[in-house]
Amino acid sequence: METVSTIISNFITLIPVTLAQSLILSFIVLGIMLPFRTLNFPDLTSEGAFPLGGCVCALSLAGGAPGWLAILVAMAAGFLAGSCTAFVHLRFRIHTLLAGILMMTMLYSINLRLMGKSNLSVYGTPTIFDGVPFVEPGFPMSKIIVTALLGIAIYCLLNLYFRTERGTAMRAVGSNPDMAEAQGISIWAATIGGVGLAGAFSATSGALMVQSQGFADVNMGIGTLINGLAALMIGEAIVGKQTIRRQLAAPFVGAIVYYQLVSLCLAAGMPPTDLKLATGLFVLAMLALPTLKRSRGAMPARETIRE
Amino acid sequence: MLEIRSARKIFYKGQPDEKIALNDLSLTLPTGNFAIVIGSNGAGKSSMLNAISGALMLDSGKILINGDDVTALPVHKRASRVARVFQDPMKGTAASMTVAENMLLAELRGKKLGLSRGLNAMRVASYRERLAALNLGLENRLDTRVELLSGGQRQSLSLIMATCDQPDLLLLDEHTAALDPRTADIVMQATVRAVEAFNLTTLMVTHNMQHAVDFGHSVVMLDAGAIRLEITGAEKAEVTIPKLIGHFGMKTDRMLLAS
Repeated sequence: METVSTIISNFITLIPVTLAQSLILSFIVLGIMLPFRTLNFPDLTSEGAFPLGGCVCALSLAGGAPGWLAILVAMAAGFLAGSCTAFVHLRFRIHTLLAGILMMTMLYSINLRLMGKSNLSVYGTPTIFDGVPFVEPGFPMSKIIVTALLGIAIYCLLNLYFRTERGTAMRAVGSNPDMAEAQGISIWAATIGGVGLAGAFSATSGALMVQSQGFADVNMGIGTLINGLAALMIGEAIVGKQTIRRQLAAPFVGAIVYYQLVSLCLAAGMPPTDLKLATGLFVLAMLALPTLKRSRGAMPARETIRE
Repeated sequence: MLEIRSARKIFYKGQPDEKIALNDLSLTLPTGNFAIVIGSNGAGKSSMLNAISGALMLDSGKILINGDDVTALPVHKRASRVARVFQDPMKGTAASMTVAENMLLAELRGKKLGLSRGLNAMRVASYRERLAALNLGLENRLDTRVELLSGGQRQSLSLIMATCDQPDLLLLDEHTAALDPRTADIVMQATVRAVEAFNLTTLMVTHNMQHAVDFGHSVVMLDAGAIRLEITGAEKAEVTIPKLIGHFGMKTDRMLLAS
């Protein structure tokens, strides 16, 4: 039987690796949060946009593109995927969740088509993590520095954007679409732009993952959505979601804490096969918590989600 | 000026439950005119307002605002001309955003949106000033989320938002119906102040006959999707509740109760 001290020492040795991984995955958490919280559009595309970003990035790297260019190409592909989901919802009035599932399913075949096989190794090609000074390439520290800088930059940009006239308008579409439309805001532009942007972030996450692990796999997206949701719930529980600043920080904080928790559980001997069940139960509990709390008081107004 | 020319809209056309919502409805509202719209339930009042705001596309007919044909424009493209206050206080505001952000959205109504900072100090100061005129204490709650306000406060905010940059046309859809009598009175007074101050062309739907008698330059009565009666000028000044109700053909209990 393992002692507590070996569990802890195992966990501690894993901290840098886990931190690098969680920073890479924080972008998909951001991609899940954006439509869900700012547009009231629960979007499942991310589970397809993540491997799409990975595949496109791997192909670009294999074709000789530098790391940063491969990420930009992946972002463009992710944007396209997200905006397709939004278009399907807006044009054909298909429920947001169903539109996301359709897109995610179709993306699986598209990813296979793109790569021509189920996985593609790009091991040894130059990556975005190579250029960090004073750090040996390939070690977790270079990944941590690059992804943290990227995360901070995106956080600051989004924070500024949501305070601009256009950003405020986009949030209004999520808050009350009828009112937003009556104020002259185009629901189409805001939704396609917002969900597309989210797809771009999910794809960024996939692209970074591919550059980090050295290969792309069509199945790399499986489970990312539920992990991302769990991370988002944790982040919101820690930093809150009352202001734009907090809401935007939640995905990053949540991802970092969540993956350390997972690492702790695994170090403590939890079978990895139980991970999805545990994560699912956790998300369920977090989502159920407000209704459990409220049921003692007056009945809450029925929550409305865009259909 | 608002002109509706032979507006026609049929729901469920060709089906057993076909319903004629607007039956060749024509109406001209001169600039600065404040018209009260009455009519029993199902008379087409809401359909008319929806057609004007763009939420309902006409089968045939035309809608002109200040001479420009807006018949084919969607809601968001008419927003620079038309402002609307709904019966439901929840509908006219963005609940999860703050009072100041809602004011910003109203100020930007129909304008080209840029990437400059939305809520700057100058704007916040002007919102504070405008809200202070309501005497509801909203000027001290600029950073409060609208969902935390009472129905009356939300409706007053909706009204200020609708009138803030002088729309070509103001649509009031039973906007005091969901409020208690005292709050309804406050909102109604604020409405009259705004309409008079900016000389707004206004259509107000109401089931409150007292309001129809007390306010406005004319009364328009709808029945079966068309204008049945228009009372203007001196005749409007002398109109009484019994006279108005007489025109309903004594069929709507809700009117009698409301009076």
